[in-house]
Parts: sequence; structure tokens; C-alpha cells
Amino acid sequence: MTWVAELTEALGRENVITDPARLRTYECDGLTGYRVVPAMVVLPRSAAEVAAAVRVCARHGVPFVARGAGTGLSGGALPVADGIVVSLQRLRRVVEVDPVNLRAVVEPGVTNLDISKAAAPYGLYYAPDPSSQQVCTIGGNVAENSGGAHCLKYGFTVNHVLAAEVVLADGTVTTLGGESTQLPGYDLLGAFIGSEGTLGIVTQVTVRLQALPAAVRTMVADFATVAGAGDAVTGIIAAGIVPAAVEMLDNLAIQAVAASTESVFTADTAAALVVELDGPPDDVAEQFDEVQEICRAHGSTKIMLAADADHRALIWKGRKAAFAAVGRISPNYFVQDGVVPRGRLAEVLGRIAAMADDAGIRVANVFHAGDGNLHPLVLYSEAEGQHDRAEHLSTHIAELCVELGGSLSGEHGIGADKACSMPRMFGEDDLATMLRLRSAFDPDGLCNPGKVFPTPRLCGERPGKYRPHPLEEAGVIERL
Amino acid sequence: MTGTVVTHRPASLAELRDALADSARSGQRLAVAGAGTAAGWGGRTEHDAVLDITAMSGLISYNPTDMTVAVQAGMPFATLQGTLAQNAQWVALDPARAAEGATVGGLLATADAGPVRHTFGSLRDCVIGVTVVLADATVARSGGHVIKNVAGYDLAKLFHGSLGTLGVLAEVILRLRPRPAATATLAVPCDAAAAFDLGGRLVHGSLEPVAVEWCDATLLARFDGTAGGVDDRLRRARALAGPDATDAAADVWQGVGRVVHGEEGDTVVRLGTAPDRTPSLAALVAREAAANAVDAAMSSSPFAGAHTVRLRGGTAAAHAAVVENLREAAPAVTVCRWTGGLRDLLPAWGEPPPAVAVLRAVKRAFDPDDRLGKGRFAPWF
Repeated sequence: MTWVAELTEALGRENVITDPARLRTYECDGLTGYRVVPAMVVLPRSAAEVAAAVRVCARHGVPFVARGAGTGLSGGALPVADGIVVSLQRLRRVVEVDPVNLRAVVEPGVTNLDISKAAAPYGLYYAPDPSSQQVCTIGGNVAENSGGAHCLKYGFTVNHVLAAEVVLADGTVTTLGGESTQLPGYDLLGAFIGSEGTLGIVTQVTVRLQALPAAVRTMVADFATVAGAGDAVTGIIAAGIVPAAVEMLDNLAIQAVAASTESVFTADTAAALVVELDGPPDDVAEQFDEVQEICRAHGSTKIMLAADADHRALIWKGRKAAFAAVGRISPNYFVQDGVVPRGRLAEVLGRIAAMADDAGIRVANVFHAGDGNLHPLVLYSEAEGQHDRAEHLSTHIAELCVELGGSLSGEHGIGADKACSMPRMFGEDDLATMLRLRSAFDPDGLCNPGKVFPTPRLCGERPGKYRPHPLEEAGVIERL
Repeated sequence: MTGTVVTHRPASLAELRDALADSARSGQRLAVAGAGTAAGWGGRTEHDAVLDITAMSGLISYNPTDMTVAVQAGMPFATLQGTLAQNAQWVALDPARAAEGATVGGLLATADAGPVRHTFGSLRDCVIGVTVVLADATVARSGGHVIKNVAGYDLAKLFHGSLGTLGVLAEVILRLRPRPAATATLAVPCDAAAAFDLGGRLVHGSLEPVAVEWCDATLLARFDGTAGGVDDRLRRARALAGPDATDAAADVWQGVGRVVHGEEGDTVVRLGTAPDRTPSLAALVAREAAANAVDAAMSSSPFAGAHTVRLRGGTAAAHAAVVENLREAAPAVTVCRWTGGLRDLLPAWGEPPPAVAVLRAVKRAFDPDDRLGKGRFAPWF
């Protein structure tokens, strides 16, 4: 029997896709410039069916790629032409919310936001909050070690997952982590989270929940210069304050927001900081005053305090809409994701501006200033033939971050997108050592091949041109 | 151990790499050692030489503005915290072994933590980069100097809990947090069930204790924050806790160290359970101690599900009986201190975790000749 027939028999005809037109739905994730139509898509309904599918793949040497909501921005769910895509969209049960033990057990297809919704009746929530949290799934969050605006204070997916049931590359099912944070042996769970689907497929996740903060205060502070806003961030951190979030928008980004939605931002300010504090009311009140003083001391021209929860939601709506809004001021754009040490923010922004000028390309900046995680938006026009120049600039910005002592990616992942830049950040021995870990989990390299690590085949190819993702065009996902 | 045990004491990354290259050529089996505060954890190692990293104790770079620090792995953790305190910063970790001189690398390799694990987790949650040297002298880095970073696999996590069996931690980069302006502790004498109940109310309320520990039959809750905020929360916590609650001096936390460290002749074990099993575990410990005529003390971070039990007095056979019964209840037991003769009565590890096959595969991939910490995880691998 062929492997296609075996998979069809194992999962049932109604749970596999081989029709070329339907397969095209899976040809890319949020990184739409790369497209590959898989040979087959399987839609398992249980961990046992995931394992059954993977066992067929293992027996026949067929590569497989796990996929959640397909919102990833680095091509982590890019299919392999002669392989299958394992969609986890039908595993979307919230198995258990356990308020006493401060945890929830969920299937991988549950969206990030639905975990917090399930926990809300108990006064609890799941802290990591990627901007796509309405649609992105926890399985994808585990694969990418997703962060979000609030990870400066609360950390990333890896700090909030206690256990994961995973299907390994040979089709066996095991559990990494467990009931407690104190378990003997190598931290396989920690290594698995953020491995971008290359070590196995997660089929159930136990996440940590925490109490909703008693108080939340949010402000927008305008600055006459980007450097002034950057200095204020440094001042806040130096004062020993750990804000829940510190986000920065430059003027081009603010213009984009104003063009698309009811904007709470001052149209002509050079830069704006969104600062949010949360925690016990007295502590928050005291530090909120201090943050305002620091902003004024660093030349803030205007401070707007969120009056209530609705006002705060409006601020965040503007901030989170910034990426999609860029589409209003530019026909095409690339979203970049890089990190620099916080102290080098002003320097990197200056150099990005200079590189953009040299290239004759505009770059808007919206980013997580508190942890130095930049999201430069490289604006260009396909019609005017700027694609290659823009792409070149975008890649150079990520590599500049490495040069300044930072990282190629803070939260979007390496995926297919940046695998070829990895040698900028890591030496041969570093990558070879990481591959030892991969070989321990997946000796035949069937699990999401071609991602994270550079290969001659991959890095010899040129990516295709950017086209908006169907979900993006429909306004369902945002580019963050 | 076979023959005479020599000690290598490299003072730099290059010397460490050379020492491992030499050992690879001669087939020497190595025990990696920091300050030696966890030398007895798990199985006894078979080794021809000790690789002592305590001469690699330097500060590589410290940038207070970025709130990151890079150190050589042999730096004593307490020394590091002292340096950081000058800038009102700290690594958000309070392991009892720090007072004994435990090194940064040693704490990472042993996956150690203290009561603030309740909020900040263990060293895995503070490490943002490592440099390791493998058995074949390969030098590999992962992570970096920035807090937010998802490029490549995170080898620091893999080495967390590796007990010197995957490679040698040479350099560690950590994220820092500001020291709080004020800190205060509430102490409430109570049994484990009452502690779990009260702790739950503190956690679910808006009081945000940074640590909740049940130690020596007392619930300790620590609050960090602004002076006004801490005062307010301490007052509200006291009201929740009732008349037995008292404000405690900071040194009350040293009680945790007395359980975790133990003394010559004690047995000390660490266990993990779900949080709500803390009361039943405490009851089991008390019952087993009474039945086997040993004294037992316990310290738990209930909401992290992390417990330490110290056995004192009685025979090795009595200690073995208690540990065996604890393993029945919670397989994830690490024996950290062995009373005399206990090793002859008890395997080093109990029931292996579900992913033991992956642990073995990782070990083979990193140290195929099994030269580093051989026997440490026996009988698992």
C-alpha cells in the first residue's frame, strides 16, 4: 500500500485532503512570500490519530509539518512538497481548568485567548499574549515560544508551560515536564518549546494560570524625538520599575494608525510610548506617578492617561493595529523581527534610518521597547520594482541586530525565513551541537525539515515575492 | 573510581576545552565539579579525574542598563548577587545552597531554586545564554545577551538538571531584575492543609506574594514592592491569616536552608507533585517518619509543587523505607544527601520519567562514550 493510502485508511477519507485546490489553502503560513503545496494534509481528531499519521510517515520516510492556525511569520509551517501537513485544528478541546492548582490542560488547536477566557471565571488568566492571540493556537505558541507585549514582566511561553504531551518522530507518544516544576533530568520540555516544530508534534499542553492583576494603569507619552523616548525607557528601567509593557511607535507608524482607525495617538509627535503597569493597587499607583515624572524629565511633550478599561482597550487596539495599518500608507511591506540590547536602541534606530535613506525605502518602527525587540516595517512598492531592495534592507536590519549583540528573532522564529542568516549569529559548532539535539529526537530528519538550520538547498533558493496572507486580507490576522 | 583520581582545574574557556580534548584522547572519565555542594546528588559517579571549574569564576560582562550579566560558570552565586546588589539588581533566585558557595553553573546543572521559584521559577527561567564544552571538546553557544530571543535551540534549558552528564557549562548569561524597594514576610504557624488553603487565598487575591513556603510547620509569605504597597499587602495578608500571624524578620527564611542543606548523617530528598498534593504528602512524611522512628522536616513551595524532605536520626534502613514510600507517592524524587549506608539499600533513582528514552538518546548524542558523570543517572542510563 502507498503511504497516501495508508494515511487515508488510518485517518478516514473525510480527514485527509489530497485535492490540489484544497491543498493550496495550506501552501503557506503568515510568511506569504514562501509557498509550497504539500502532497497531502491530514486532519487528526486525537493524539492517537496524530501518532498514527506520524507512524506511517516514519515507516515510509515521509516528512511532516505540523500546523496550527497558520499565523506564524517565519514560515515555520511551510509545507514540504513531498510531505504532509498535520493540521491540529480539530484538537481544540479545553480539557480542564484547574483553579486550585493554577493550571489548564488544553489541546494544541485551542487559541491563546480562549485559554484566558476559560480561566476568567476563576479570576485567572494565561499570561503570554502574542498580538495574534485571537486566532493563534497554543500548539503554535509552544512551537515558537511566543511572547507578546507583556513578556517583559511575565516572560514567554516557556515560562508558562508545565507539561506537554508530544508525538515524537517515530510516532511514539510521551510527556515532557509534569505536574511539578521540580523534576529530575534534562529539561526536555524547555528545549522542546521554541524548537519550531522540529522535535515533534505537541498534542496536549498543561499551562500555568495566574491571578488577574488587581490594578492596571496605562499611559501614552509623546516625545519630540525617538531618542528621547528611548532614554525615558532606560530611565524607567533604571528606576527599578518593571512595567507590564513598554511599547514604542515612531511617527510613520502613528501616521499609519491614524490612517486606518480612530487613533488615540498625537498625529505629529515624533514618537509615542505606551507604558502599562499592573499589580497590587498601591504599588501600581506609586510607580505610575514615578513613570510620568521620568517621562517628563526626559522631555515628554504630552502624557495621556487611560481613563478606564475602554480607553485602555482603544490604546491597545491602535498599537496592535499598527502593523496592518501600514498597509494604508504603503502598497507592500515586510515585517522584520530583531532584538538588540536595550541600551543600544537609539543606536540601532539611527542606523536603520540611515540604511533606509541609502536604500530610498521608508521604515516604520513599532516595537517592544522594554526588551529591545524591534519590529521594523519595511515599506515598499512592488509595482515600482522596489521588492528586492526592500527585502535586502529587511534582511540587513535583522543582521544588524546580531552585529549589535542582539538576536535575529525575538518572537517570530527563524523558520524558513531566516535559516540562511543563522550563520551570522551562530558558529558551525553551535549549529552542529543544536543538531545533535535534533538527531536525538528525530534521527531521520522527518519532522519539519528545512526550518531553523541553514541547508545548501534552502539557502541557494530565492524566496518569492510578498503577497498578503488570505487571513490578513480578511482582517483576521495582524502582522506582528 | 579506578586508580588515582587527578583534578583538572582550568582557568579559562581555552584551558577547559584543552582539558576535555585531552580527556577525549585518553578516554578519561570525568566528574564535573563546582563548589561540590551537590556532589552527592543522585548516583555515585565513576570517574578517573575531576574537572573542577571553580577557577573559572570571573565576571565576563555586566551591563546594568540592559539588566544582563555574563559570568564564568564557576562564579559563586552569592558573589554574583553581591556584585549586582551594588546596582540594586539581582538574579531572581534564592537557592539555599548559595550560602554554601554554590556556583552559577552548579545551580544550573542541578536545576536548583529557592522559595521565590513561586514567582520567578528556577535558573532555567533566568538564563538567556550559555557556552558549553562537550565531552569531545566542542565549544557551543546558544542564546545570547538579550532577554527576548528565539533563534536556535535553547541549550541552557537542556543543561538544566543535567548534573554534569551532557557537557561542561563554561559561561552563563543571566537576565536580572531590580531589587524591590521594600520586602516583608508574614509567618503563620499551621499544618500543611491550612498552609495550602491560606496560601491559595493569598495567591488568588490581589496580594501577589513573591514567595509562599511551608517550612517547619509555618507558612512564610514574602511580599516585595514599594514601601507603601508592601505595608498595605502585609496588613491585608495578616487580616486574612488570623491572630496567629506575625511579621517575621528576613532571617526566618534561613529555616529553609536548614531543611534543604541538612547535616552529616541526614538524608535529604527533593520531590515534585501537583500543588494540591502538598497536604497529603506532608501527612505521608509525618506518618512514615513516625512509623520508622526518624525525625522528618519538610519545606515546600506548594504552588510550584516543589518539596524538600530532611530525615534525621534512626537507621539507614529506616531512611530507605521512608524514601521508598515517598517514591511510591511521587516518583520524581532526587536524593541529595545520603545517610551512611543508604546507598547500599536504595537505587539512586526510582521510577524513570515517561520520556526516559529521549533522555537516553540526548545523552548518547552529546556524550556517546559516556565519559561525563558516568553513573549519575543510573539505573535510568
